[in-house]
Amino acid sequence: MMETIEKYLGKLVAQGLVDSSEDASLFSMDDRIYSKDENIPQIVEYLFKTLNITSLIIARPSRLILNIIGELKKVCPDRIAPKDSESITFIHDIPVLQDMDSKTIATALKRRKGCIATDGSIIATGSITLEQAFVVFSSICFALFVKYFSDVLNSLGGSHGNVHDECTVIEPSSTILGMIGPPGPIRRPSLVIPESEYDVISTKVDTGKATVESGLVDSFFGNISYTLDDYMYISQTAAALDELEGLIDKVALDGSSTNDITSSSEMGSHLRIHELTLDRAILHGHPKFSVIMSMYGKPMELGEKRYLGDIPVVYGRVGAGKKGLVHVLPPAMQESRAAIAYGHGTFTSGSESFLDAFDKMLYIENACFEMLKGLLSI
Amino acid sequence: MSKYTLKCLFVDLDSRSVRFEQVPQDISLKYIGGRGIATHLLGLNPMLKAGEPETPLIFSAGPLTGSRLPSTGRMSISSFSPLTNTITSSSVGGNLGIQMRMAGLDVIHITGKSRNKLVLCIQDRDVSFEDVALGEDTPLQEVFLKLSSRGSVAAVGSAGFHGCLFASIMVDGAYAAGRGGLGYVMASKNLVAVTVRGSHRPGVGDRYMEGITTEDILRLFDASPAIMGVSGIHRYGTVSLVDLMASRRMMPTANFRKTFFEQYRAFSASRIVSTFKATHNGCYACPIRCKLKSDGGKELPEFETVSHFGALNENADLMSIIEANRICNEVGMDTITAASTIACLAEIREKKYTGDTLVGKVKEMASGKGLGELLQMGSRRLAEELGQPGTSMSVKSMEIPAYDPRGAYGMALGYCTSTRGACHLRAYPISHEILRRPVATDRFSFQGKARIIKIAEDVNAVIDSMGACKFAFFGASMEEYALGMKAVTGLDIEPQDLITIGERIFTLERYINCQRGFAKEDDFLPARFYKEHGTPGPGLEIPPIERALFKETLERYYRVRGCSPDGVPTEKRLKELDII
Repeated sequence: MMETIEKYLGKLVAQGLVDSSEDASLFSMDDRIYSKDENIPQIVEYLFKTLNITSLIIARPSRLILNIIGELKKVCPDRIAPKDSESITFIHDIPVLQDMDSKTIATALKRRKGCIATDGSIIATGSITLEQAFVVFSSICFALFVKYFSDVLNSLGGSHGNVHDECTVIEPSSTILGMIGPPGPIRRPSLVIPESEYDVISTKVDTGKATVESGLVDSFFGNISYTLDDYMYISQTAAALDELEGLIDKVALDGSSTNDITSSSEMGSHLRIHELTLDRAILHGHPKFSVIMSMYGKPMELGEKRYLGDIPVVYGRVGAGKKGLVHVLPPAMQESRAAIAYGHGTFTSGSESFLDAFDKMLYIENACFEMLKGLLSI
Repeated sequence: MSKYTLKCLFVDLDSRSVRFEQVPQDISLKYIGGRGIATHLLGLNPMLKAGEPETPLIFSAGPLTGSRLPSTGRMSISSFSPLTNTITSSSVGGNLGIQMRMAGLDVIHITGKSRNKLVLCIQDRDVSFEDVALGEDTPLQEVFLKLSSRGSVAAVGSAGFHGCLFASIMVDGAYAAGRGGLGYVMASKNLVAVTVRGSHRPGVGDRYMEGITTEDILRLFDASPAIMGVSGIHRYGTVSLVDLMASRRMMPTANFRKTFFEQYRAFSASRIVSTFKATHNGCYACPIRCKLKSDGGKELPEFETVSHFGALNENADLMSIIEANRICNEVGMDTITAASTIACLAEIREKKYTGDTLVGKVKEMASGKGLGELLQMGSRRLAEELGQPGTSMSVKSMEIPAYDPRGAYGMALGYCTSTRGACHLRAYPISHEILRRPVATDRFSFQGKARIIKIAEDVNAVIDSMGACKFAFFGASMEEYALGMKAVTGLDIEPQDLITIGERIFTLERYINCQRGFAKEDDFLPARFYKEHGTPGPGLEIPPIERALFKETLERYYRVRGCSPDGVPTEKRLKELDII
């Protein structure tokens, strides 16, 4: 238990979700509560007693997110309802606490997996593992960032035609604008054209790490595939992109095995993209500015397509259902080898190496950052 | 809080009399419906034995049954088990629960024993008893054909009337309340079938919110590879798990002496789907549609059945697996126990029953004649009778399903703490240990599993009580279904409140079992799993489970569950949960 606590504390810091390990308290519970703190706060004991959870993170997020929370709370005092795809699918909304007594916190967490405390701290829970609480924490930070900037952009009004139903008009905060920058520092994956299964796996592991380290995706999200001979090698569902060792499914392209039931929820899209483009390397991340810019303008509906520069933006749900990305994303990828899923993330491909795919994703993210800067006159 | 009372039809087969009653609101709210309310009703007289006339057989729908929320077409059938002597409850699909709700009924509570074989017919508020002239061996399909004009039908087959302790109740021809011998209980009442037809769709508190929640749930189904993915159960049915269990080296083989069957591709999902040009089938309002049908309209077996009539018996003959499944459904027998009992016999006799021989053994079992009389008692009694009790792969006399516990330690614990004997569905850790939903856990570790399993048992108890399907939770969570509960019932209820209701139900089930004599020593796996290795794979060892570690985890589980060191729920916890 303590190893797991150390691991996720480290990840919170490494991914910039908190500024310092001092800002975060992590708890796991089996038949007793485990924590780095010798004294378990009463409120934590109360929450574990009251809620059917196994893990809890209470942490002050990074200064940037803390500022964003401050701004959003002014206009969303009770709950924040982000409109990015992951939030709509998994988070729904984030309660904002008015009080910090145990009952108020428990009441909020009885309904949702995470909430925002009066001091801007984020409280996140997991019903199975600490990783789950980490994912909730990370998702909330991502959702708040995207919501803030997409709200600000859309509040510019005029020809931008904001009609996001949960959008709130926000005056841009100069403090926050002064804190953002393009993705970086960047660590590009190595240029390898895989020729064996071993190459494929080691290249994928390296690319996954590079994508997370470069800030193009939070570790738990995104997916990655490479096709060699008759197999697609694809990351498993719920696999952290920076920890892919042992979490890559080998999928027979002829459909003769169902082993891939554990593969990424976007496997259908990966297969179809490969069929249409013959590109071997496919990378999917959640670069923040690309997601924000994809939400600039009218909300999209299934079947719609628009462009950010040359890059198509399409709308579809996560996965392979009737309204899934699988129906709209692959044709867009065929068109330009890169596409942004509205409010969700970027897909890029490379004919033989992940470096191509990575560079495209980075290029798009930098371009989106520049677009945002221009629109906000930073 | 809105008025929430369950409507119950009490039926006495001795006097052929009925009465309608409303379950008091406090009880209705505490146990909510489905498995929960049945547990409460059975707990009122916890020492009854299966097969005694006064032992109730309870059909209970959930408050979501028949709503438009996805995957909510289920109900429960409950009683005391002749196989295990535990309380037992089986979640079943089909239309029966929906018809009950349309007839204004949440619960049908049946006691007594009819002098002649009869059918209980319910049409809205009209209840009638009809004597039937059916031969002992009338195939269930004939029964369904004969009665289908009366609405939805739950029927017991010849196995129940022959005294099979694991006889099932079949609903609408294709859906089994399979485990624990509920068909035996029904047959012991001389009740051949229950038919229900209703004509009023149950009301919904907030239709708009029901629609919003439905969209939220469908979005999560789409995002779940296990449900709607390329190889998900929507496309291949539950047999999509065959390849995965083989590659994870946790496919029970040769009566659990191995964990890998080299010829598993003979019954893989792609083989079954291509051989039979399979199409989908499923319950009302369920987009998952996990059942497979052949192009000739025949029901195809599910994963557990395929794996146990296949690998567990070292049988690579797909046609014999299909036939064994057909016979079980025709006579009403639980396929898991049937297959496992034959595998047990094979080990004792040092033989293999495959192909036609396997089918022959199933027929013998169904007839209840000759060796069949012993086979239909299940593996525990068979193994004891033949002097080799260690060959029964069961917990509390219920045979272990098709996930080898050495390959998933949460599953190992869940088999033992399940309140109806070795059941994969009570905690269903396959979700996180194998399918990685919503997150993955280390399948070879007990770390954290005591609390994980306890919470999962509570969650699944309330899922069964709401009338929802567990497969839905490979994608969605209690957050969405709680919102659905609010929309449908008008109750002001949060996800965690529902899980607490589940905790009440599960704890009461455990308490009832303790009252019936179950104790800590019943919460262990057969010795084989602590001594013998499973079959290794590439870079993968399957060691035996460390018994001391298992015991330690079990004791942690007791503490988390609020039990004494002997595994009995404490008075304090029973009071906290408002059980006593």
